[in-house]
Amino acid sequence: MFTNNPFAALTDFLPPLVMQVYVVLMTLAVVVGTLFDVVHKGSAEFFARRREKSEAAAQRRLNGGETVSLAIATIAEAAVSGEFCKWPRRISHLLTMYGFFLYVIATVVMVFAYPAGAATPAILPALWTLGALMILAGGFWFFFFLRVDVAHDGASPFHLGRADLFIGSLLASVVFALVWHYMGTAIGDAVSTRIVFGIYLFFTTLLFCSVPWSKFAHMFFKPAVAFQRRVEEANGSSDLPSPAAESYIVRN
Amino acid sequence: MPTYTDMTRCDGCGDCVDICPSDIMHIDPVYRRSYNIEPNFCWECYSCVKACSQHAIDVRGYADFAPLGHKVRVLREPEKGAISWKIRYRDGRLKEFTFPIRTTPWGSIKAAQDYEKPDLGALGSPLLSHEPAALHIAALPTIKKA
Repeated sequence: MFTNNPFAALTDFLPPLVMQVYVVLMTLAVVVGTLFDVVHKGSAEFFARRREKSEAAAQRRLNGGETVSLAIATIAEAAVSGEFCKWPRRISHLLTMYGFFLYVIATVVMVFAYPAGAATPAILPALWTLGALMILAGGFWFFFFLRVDVAHDGASPFHLGRADLFIGSLLASVVFALVWHYMGTAIGDAVSTRIVFGIYLFFTTLLFCSVPWSKFAHMFFKPAVAFQRRVEEANGSSDLPSPAAESYIVRN
Repeated sequence: MPTYTDMTRCDGCGDCVDICPSDIMHIDPVYRRSYNIEPNFCWECYSCVKACSQHAIDVRGYADFAPLGHKVRVLREPEKGAISWKIRYRDGRLKEFTFPIRTTPWGSIKAAQDYEKPDLGALGSPLLSHEPAALHIAALPTIKKA
């Protein structure tokens, strides 16, 4: 199971071109969904106004080198999920984020470079499975124990709301992907395997086509906001108070 | 002045929900970020403002006496035991204040159950639990019977 290209089995009833077109359509859905989200919610206008205010209140201009350095610091912070102040949420987010990257990249490479499956390097299905397992570990940990409405607001761990559209569809998609792959390699019953594949396809489509209503686009917005905040701190336009000049801790 | 959450700063940690004595800080079901569900019931204790590690909670005045662009922002620095406030008046003046909030490191205060079980014989003593050690003094003055 860990060394077989899961998409190779699809060539029995789907031409590789169909899979490739599907991947392209899902990518377009994310791009269009994010742009729609930006326009519909007015977030682009909000951030443009915020940038104008920041530039007007700036006490000094940042040069190109400083801006690049702030961008690098923002990327470094996002890479380790440094915006989270609590370790369990940070670890869960890192597992889900890097699992998602592995899973998506391995999927794209296998669908486009090795659609027939014969010469697929064993590392690709292994990374695909590893990514899926990381998503499940981080995602279920978050879903049942770390979701703020569950952990702090008294909601049931089985509660589902619109805020769960992204994590719910992601987990469902990955669970059914693994079940479909397992059934295809270990059981081999064509009918039940195709039914599970259909469910996997449904949740995957839901994941990528629900961007305007889900939290999917947070992966684009959050770094943009974090960068703007760093710029405001650096150019003196931040509205936060100046740090205290002295420490009042006198005893251990 | 009741509080509100800047959702672009909030990371949804839930600390404000836990600390609010009025139980009006809750989680938005669409964005999973905190929000003040009923500003009229806000005690204005600013516990949530001070507890927020992301500086995501701000306060806004009632429009009848504090309109037009005033702002109150807070910066908590637990490593320095300090909290600083920046007040922007509606005429553009800015004032900053820094206050000490504690003298011991953040998180170092022990809960009651972390102390050893006191001796029952101490019930007759005029000292409170773990005095005088908890006060960091050798002994408390006591009145001796004549």
